[in-house]
Amino acid sequence: MRYVKELKYGFHILFHPFDGFWQLKREHKGSLAAALTFVGIVIMLTTFEKQTTGFLFNAVRLKDVNVVVDILTVTMIYVLWCVANWCLTSLMDGEGNMKDIFIAMGYALLPMILIRLPMIALSLGITAEEGTFYYVLNSVSYIWTGILVFFGTMVTHQYSFKKTVLTCICTVVGMGIIMFIGLLFFSVIQQMITFFTTIYKEIRF
Amino acid sequence: MRKSLFFAAVASASLLLIQPVAAHAEVPYETYSYNYYQETVAQPHVYLYDETYTFDGFETPVKNPQDMFVKDDVFYIADTGNSRIVKTNSEGELLLEIKSASSEEDLLSKPQGVFVTDEDHIYVADSGNGRLVEYDENGGYIRQIGRPVTDLIEKDVAYTPQKVVVDKDGRIYVTAYGINMGLLEFNIEGDFQSFMGAVQVSVSPFEYIWKHYFSTKEQQARMATIVPTEYSNIFVDKDNFIYATINNLTNADYVNGADAIRRLNPTGKDILRRLGHYSIIGDLYKSEDNKWSSFIDVAATDYGCYFILDNANGKVFGYDYDGNSLFVFGRNGNREGNVMNAVAIGTNSDASTIYILDYQLNSILTFSITDYGRHLLDALRLNDTGDTEGSIAEWREVLRLNSNNEFAYTGLGKSFLANGEYKKAMEYFKNGNNKKYYSKALYYHRKELMEKNFGKIMAVLAAIVLIPVVVVTFKKIKRWAGEVKCAMSKN
Repeated sequence: MRYVKELKYGFHILFHPFDGFWQLKREHKGSLAAALTFVGIVIMLTTFEKQTTGFLFNAVRLKDVNVVVDILTVTMIYVLWCVANWCLTSLMDGEGNMKDIFIAMGYALLPMILIRLPMIALSLGITAEEGTFYYVLNSVSYIWTGILVFFGTMVTHQYSFKKTVLTCICTVVGMGIIMFIGLLFFSVIQQMITFFTTIYKEIRF
Repeated sequence: MRKSLFFAAVASASLLLIQPVAAHAEVPYETYSYNYYQETVAQPHVYLYDETYTFDGFETPVKNPQDMFVKDDVFYIADTGNSRIVKTNSEGELLLEIKSASSEEDLLSKPQGVFVTDEDHIYVADSGNGRLVEYDENGGYIRQIGRPVTDLIEKDVAYTPQKVVVDKDGRIYVTAYGINMGLLEFNIEGDFQSFMGAVQVSVSPFEYIWKHYFSTKEQQARMATIVPTEYSNIFVDKDNFIYATINNLTNADYVNGADAIRRLNPTGKDILRRLGHYSIIGDLYKSEDNKWSSFIDVAATDYGCYFILDNANGKVFGYDYDGNSLFVFGRNGNREGNVMNAVAIGTNSDASTIYILDYQLNSILTFSITDYGRHLLDALRLNDTGDTEGSIAEWREVLRLNSNNEFAYTGLGKSFLANGEYKKAMEYFKNGNNKKYYSKALYYHRKELMEKNFGKIMAVLAAIVLIPVVVVTFKKIKRWAGEVKCAMSKN
């Protein structure tokens, strides 16, 4: 029952981001479980959307759909954003800890679920001329999520408006750096493995 | 599940189709088309190489011909290398030879264009002498039309007419070397009227500003002057519209999707329908030897299909009335049935044979239509004449021979749409990847569903509106009753 209540709290945040995120952190109105539920739904939604959206609005070819890639993309963006944000804010006197960030960002994804899910059904029933409706509402879902992410960061860390803007930009850069280091690490490991296998083979044969 | 079954069916059907094609070892080229996703898709052959007319029987063999006009299986060839016009047939008989104009001494010089009117009058673009010459059906000299009298062409610019066409009203249109203001238009008397259908020059604001404000004089001089392109060839169709090809395009033009062909109405406006999934530039990608298609000639059927000849890769591109790519075939090479330097294309009256004139081989190659091609063109022809039933039958045949053909699905979908079978039409448009018509079919399907289930929909809507109202009112009444009770008990 508490879990359901925590899920429901997302609707409060939708329209009262300041108040909502404040209580989320200080009064523990939400939980990590609920936040991760939202993330999970967004992951499912992304894969579902590619396969079920009506022919007129679906730019994806069924044979190109790769569920693993979809799952990884959403998870990666979410985790990278949260980690990069945490790395930065712990240096910039942010008040939120890692868990707070994960919870706030999870709740911020709710508009996507609420708008994009019915849009899938709608896309099956509207013609190309009415497509503006579809596209506008879809962009609204992204913008709304963006706003919630912004205010979520602002409230969780007790930042000023300016500082939040700076943090968000830096977070994106940070994500890039983390990815770069990750790839570098990956390629170094790969080369090391090749190196040792070659040595092994040379000694062996 | 149904979808995957369908794909499996398509895949297996296409496999079955590819095999007999591969068995045609003697066909020295592939036939393909582009699908919605801009991928090349193998197709059954639409035209098969038939034979080559080499004109061995002539006293002087044809040498470096530049243009050809096909009329009722008779060929008029602009034999540029020998400075003459020859009229010949498929047996290779020399029916007529024209070497001179007004008198025996007044010889033609490197004629590059030839055109024959409905009355069999022959118009020749006598390029070397800078004039047009008209002959009657027996090759008798009628008149010549010299350099246009106009200030629009500078005096020191040489006038070299290259291709000539005459429309049904007797207007003469000419392309000339180095003149990029459009086609030269002469009236029936041979007086110069105006330029027609100039290619618009588009300069981006960035380019303009860079060139005019940020470049030195020397840099400006070195920059390529931005000039409109010239037409490479012209063709007049039965509706008096002129197809004009353009081939000196830049790499950027091809990448950005320039228009390499136009259909000009008598006022010079481009009215070519471009409803295909991509622009009409021939191949969408560079060929193996790094060349874009270069359109050198075009021939159109009465029902709006047109075949464009690509000089760079020796291919023929077939397009339908809407600008959809129907098929591509042909190849440059040394094998029999390949071309070396194709310069002109022509068809016979029902497009059952395509003739290609080769500048280097000095001969005409013939390609005759296959069953598949016949069904494809007939479907389009019947569609054009409004014979829906006939066109459906033809599309079914096309689909039977090639289940990858998107246009067949669209064609059948259109007929279902016309017959009011909207659900089926939607399915076919989906297979044909045609969003525009799918949307149309969906609109009618939705309307039909709504009308059929009007009662149910209204009931649900009413329920959605009424239930909260009833609940709220009920609550209000209850509260009011409670208050009354409370008040009464107080009393």
